[in-house]
Amino acid sequence: MPRFLLLLLNEFKLARTALPIHLVAILQPTLMYLLMSPSLVQATFDMHVIQPTTDKERALVAAMREVGSPIGLPYINPIVVSPEEAAQMESSTFRQIVAVESRDGVPTAVQRFSLIDSNQVKNLRNRLTAAALRLWNEELGDAAVTIEEHPWLPVDVPYTVYFGMAMLPMTTFLAAVFIGGILTAQDFEFRTIAEFRLAPIAPVWVLGARLTRLVLSAFLSAGVLLLAQGWRTGFWPGSFWRVGLVLLPVAITASSLGIIIGLLFRRSIPSLLTGLIAGMGSWILGGAFGLTAGFGGLYEKLSRLTPNAHAVEMLFSCYYGAQVGDPPSSILALALFSVGLLTLAFFTYRWRVLRQE
Amino acid sequence: MKRFWILLSTEVKALVRDPISVLGGFIAPGILMVAFGLLFGGRLTFKIAVFNHDSGPWGDVLRQTIGEVMSPFGTPYYDVPDLPEDEAWDAYYAHTIDGVWVIPPDFSARLESEQNPNIEMHFSNYNDDRAKNHRIYSTEIVWRFYEKIGRPGPPLALAEEYPRPEMIHWFPLIAVGLVLLGVSLGGMFNIFLLTYKEHLARITLEYGLAPCSLAWVLLPKVLLALFMGLVTGTALLLVVYLWVGAWPGRFLWAVWLLSGLMALFWVSVGLVLGVRTRHYMAGAISGVFGGVIVFFIGGGLAPVRQNWAEVIWPARLFPNTYAVDPMRDLVLFQAWPVDWTPTFLTLTGFALVSLVGGMVLTARQLRRLG
Repeated sequence: MPRFLLLLLNEFKLARTALPIHLVAILQPTLMYLLMSPSLVQATFDMHVIQPTTDKERALVAAMREVGSPIGLPYINPIVVSPEEAAQMESSTFRQIVAVESRDGVPTAVQRFSLIDSNQVKNLRNRLTAAALRLWNEELGDAAVTIEEHPWLPVDVPYTVYFGMAMLPMTTFLAAVFIGGILTAQDFEFRTIAEFRLAPIAPVWVLGARLTRLVLSAFLSAGVLLLAQGWRTGFWPGSFWRVGLVLLPVAITASSLGIIIGLLFRRSIPSLLTGLIAGMGSWILGGAFGLTAGFGGLYEKLSRLTPNAHAVEMLFSCYYGAQVGDPPSSILALALFSVGLLTLAFFTYRWRVLRQE
Repeated sequence: MKRFWILLSTEVKALVRDPISVLGGFIAPGILMVAFGLLFGGRLTFKIAVFNHDSGPWGDVLRQTIGEVMSPFGTPYYDVPDLPEDEAWDAYYAHTIDGVWVIPPDFSARLESEQNPNIEMHFSNYNDDRAKNHRIYSTEIVWRFYEKIGRPGPPLALAEEYPRPEMIHWFPLIAVGLVLLGVSLGGMFNIFLLTYKEHLARITLEYGLAPCSLAWVLLPKVLLALFMGLVTGTALLLVVYLWVGAWPGRFLWAVWLLSGLMALFWVSVGLVLGVRTRHYMAGAISGVFGGVIVFFIGGGLAPVRQNWAEVIWPARLFPNTYAVDPMRDLVLFQAWPVDWTPTFLTLTGFALVSLVGGMVLTARQLRRLG
């Protein structure tokens, strides 16, 4: 045990030789989250509308203000502009403008779109329909069809909560795979590996010390992101221990993978690129933007091959208090990933380090 | 001039000997393109189950309406697979379908007698954006349903006008943003890696001792990096062409011009990093993540012009934000951007400031070493 502790201490001392790499690997995902989360999804859309002059137009603007979630945010922020202002505005400065006109004698809310994509057209169209339907329903009275909402959760949870939660396995994975890959490759580049070859100690201790240090670095990275996410959204996981337990196999998998990559390439640049592909690929394929089951098809099938998808489903209950996916199979998958990669790392180490002059 | 060619050929040889920097420009955009293609390039619908318990005729009409109202994606808002009730509820709780609508037995009776007919909409709101979509999609269905069953017309009819005859789809728009990301990273990685290697091999020391202007040393590097950025971007443009059929055609030169000006900004950043950084890996990771962040916040997922108010201020410090929409005009519509001149001037400004600043800083660093 004292040997192991000395090796572990040595591993931590090694961090001083690559401090910038550690800082970037640990902090960059959090920076990414803080910068990306405000611009990814917005529930409330600004919608330009020509200054109302009739009761119907005023009613439309009032209805636009009412469109929204009964347990969340409003969906429309109407911005009233005069016809002169609208004429002066360049079409490139607004997404759409609503003007009530008479068409064939029928008062019509005309939505004029700028050059925007189908997703924004959809969002703006749906919002205006929702406002206009309110007026129609008012007129129909008891003949109107009511949609009784039965949401799954008592409140609409901001998208940034899911996005941050899905970044937790990603930051854990990236920190471990980057640091593990680069430091192992540097052992060859700086010839430190010769010392390991000559050391009278079983490789399992050397690998164990490196893995422990990588797992702790990965946890540090995830901890920083978790704090940033909580600070940004006000949503905290129900149990920090459970989050740690879910991230542990991800950290072991990524640490083992990082070591394998470093051992195979023995050069830091290819190790970095391979780690990047693995980290970003498993983040995006592993439910980075929404539960993989919701996307279905090939995407969902591929997602099962990443530890992230399983970890995200396991983390879900910590944040939402509700279960998704199949926890036993996710636990099994994460266990298999960790044990499989760990074993592979051990054998690769023996092959690359101990059997080579 | 001979000196210039010698240095340029040296840089090219260094690149050929170690071509791994070429990958730097492809990896992040490549992964993102595949991922967004899988996520948003397919059939964008909500899958819901509809249980029609109605004993009258109107439940069927509503059920049909749900499957036929089309979204701007060119697909219906909802796909309604036929599932037995218990399977559908299981699928709903497993999140493999997005919602369940229940039409009650007395729906038609209440509709005909005007006694507050209602339907139940069960949906997941773990993500407020999807919950919002459920709420606002359902209004499209009810609107169409009223029209189909001949309700008295709405107090306000709805109409739409578009600037172009065809809809601009989402994935191609994202793909053009990824081409710009490829140009940025392709140029930056090239100069960063080659300069860093020279730095490690102490070749920069020789540069620092050179009796002539360091512009002769830096210019070939910048040109090669610019070329590699454009090669990366063009290769990604070809992928976009094969995937979604968009190609700038006769405006290819304009695409190269805009993306080249933008690349010069990143090349200068890479140059400074290459001579100053002591840790290649930290610089490389920062470069990739920096590029990806700029892609996301600088209009990678939506047009910038019409969303300028939502563009956060850090994004306004990067040329990608200004280049992305004119690039989309050129690539997706083969149309000349209305804001060509201001865009060109802005990008030229970014390129000049960055290039002069980058070269001065690099030259000072090299001379200091010398």
